[in-house]
Amino acid sequence: MEKILLQLRVNGETRQVAVPPNKLLLDVLREDLGLTGSKRGCDDSSCGCCAVLIDGTPMLSCVALAASYVGAEILTVEGLAPPGELHPVQEGFAVSGGAQCGYCTPGFLITTKALLDRNPHPTLEEIREALSSNLCRCTGYMQIYESVRLALERWAQAPRAAGARPSAAEGRD
Amino acid sequence: MTLPAFSLVRPQTVAEALRVLQEAAPGQAKIVAGGTDLIPNLQMKLYAPQLVVDIKGIVALRGIEWSPRQGLQIGALTTLAELEHAPVVREQFPVLAEAVAAVAGPLQRNMGTIGGNLCLETRCLWYNQSEFWRRALGGCLKLPMPNPHAALSRTICHVAPGGKFCWAVWSGDSAPALLTLDAEVEIAGPRGRVRRPLRDFYKNDGMDRIALGPDELLTAVHVPAHAAGRRGTYRKLRIRNSIDYPLAGVAVTMEVDREGICRAARVAIAAVNPAPLLVPQAETLLVGKKASPELIEEVARATTRTGKPLTTSVSTPEYRREMLRVFTRRALQTCWHNPGRAEHEHNSGD
Repeated sequence: MEKILLQLRVNGETRQVAVPPNKLLLDVLREDLGLTGSKRGCDDSSCGCCAVLIDGTPMLSCVALAASYVGAEILTVEGLAPPGELHPVQEGFAVSGGAQCGYCTPGFLITTKALLDRNPHPTLEEIREALSSNLCRCTGYMQIYESVRLALERWAQAPRAAGARPSAAEGRD
Repeated sequence: MTLPAFSLVRPQTVAEALRVLQEAAPGQAKIVAGGTDLIPNLQMKLYAPQLVVDIKGIVALRGIEWSPRQGLQIGALTTLAELEHAPVVREQFPVLAEAVAAVAGPLQRNMGTIGGNLCLETRCLWYNQSEFWRRALGGCLKLPMPNPHAALSRTICHVAPGGKFCWAVWSGDSAPALLTLDAEVEIAGPRGRVRRPLRDFYKNDGMDRIALGPDELLTAVHVPAHAAGRRGTYRKLRIRNSIDYPLAGVAVTMEVDREGICRAARVAIAAVNPAPLLVPQAETLLVGKKASPELIEEVARATTRTGKPLTTSVSTPEYRREMLRVFTRRALQTCWHNPGRAEHEHNSGD
């Protein structure tokens, strides 16, 4: 199939790829850009493993055509914090055992970041609702909710530091 | 997995989209917006279009407008998340807010649009499967896949063997809610834009689900002003409380006067027929009456007569039919006894 040239904005950088028009955003991220943090789970939009932020909103890259998202700001799990550093959400998951096998974790991190950006003081019910598109087959979710609560605390304790800390997206420009 | 090969176009205006659709070979173009229905269906090789038309860039199809005289106009590209959180929808059209909030999960609702939700492909246990799975079976009426090694030598409907009708169910949540609000759809085509009642949009045929020509585009949904403020609720049966499609859905709206007498009522069901359907007897049974357990049970029974669940999904037809009755009863009780938010504010204001 004939390839088309796309310019995508990923983690704050402009990346150029030549891909066929039927290529999914998930595959472009993983295969063409080497960003293998986003995972293929169900492959039909029902598990949340492939979640990325598109203009700040969590979406499923397994049902997104890459060519449809030219011009959008895409943030993957790799862009949450600069290399060698952790975003408060990642710290929360690391400390509270929010990841067991780890396969669903990038999707949970992305969805949690979107929640905290929108609502820094969510109730447990709001956390459960916000994460209800993400499936985990290991933890039974309790550790995940605890991780989010810990992330909230760390976020709240150092709001300025967390807010001012350049994400990878901003840092590279 | 790889999608079938196709060319992609991204029109920026309705006129451009219509031109692209008109120039495409008949049946060879598929429209995509959020992608949550079309892309998985392409993954399963349910279609192999030459052309995919991504309409997300048509800015004119976005957004919600409300005026107490004109009613509610919802652009086809409005996401389900935007609808669910819109204050006017929550306050004036609670049945719609509840129904869209019940679609899949929050990430799917960030992508899925109201236009896409109204145009969903019909679903069936025997159809929404991988190409490999379907080929082993020889396909079905809706999508025959002749295979000399399949157990059956001819293509049949596995839901109603011997029948010539496709029972794939219409499995959306927003349409039953919009039916109870007397909504209309706006359709753009080569001869301009027309409005049609939503109830005429569905053809109740699993293979030919909606009245939308290959050269037409659904551009907006209108909810008339007279439906604003109606009490309403939506009940949905599914295996998990998130992500899943409905196995049965019941939407109810009602106007109740100060004496507790029903002045207007609609009951609509989804996911048990090839179309979302209004229950025809509900209005006649309810209007002019006060709530009673016998009346509510009678309407609930009428609902189960409209619903025709068959073995199109993982749960049994008997269970889905029974849940139609239970949901109708609960939804009617909720509407009758709980004033809506808009109504409550209005009453407390006088």
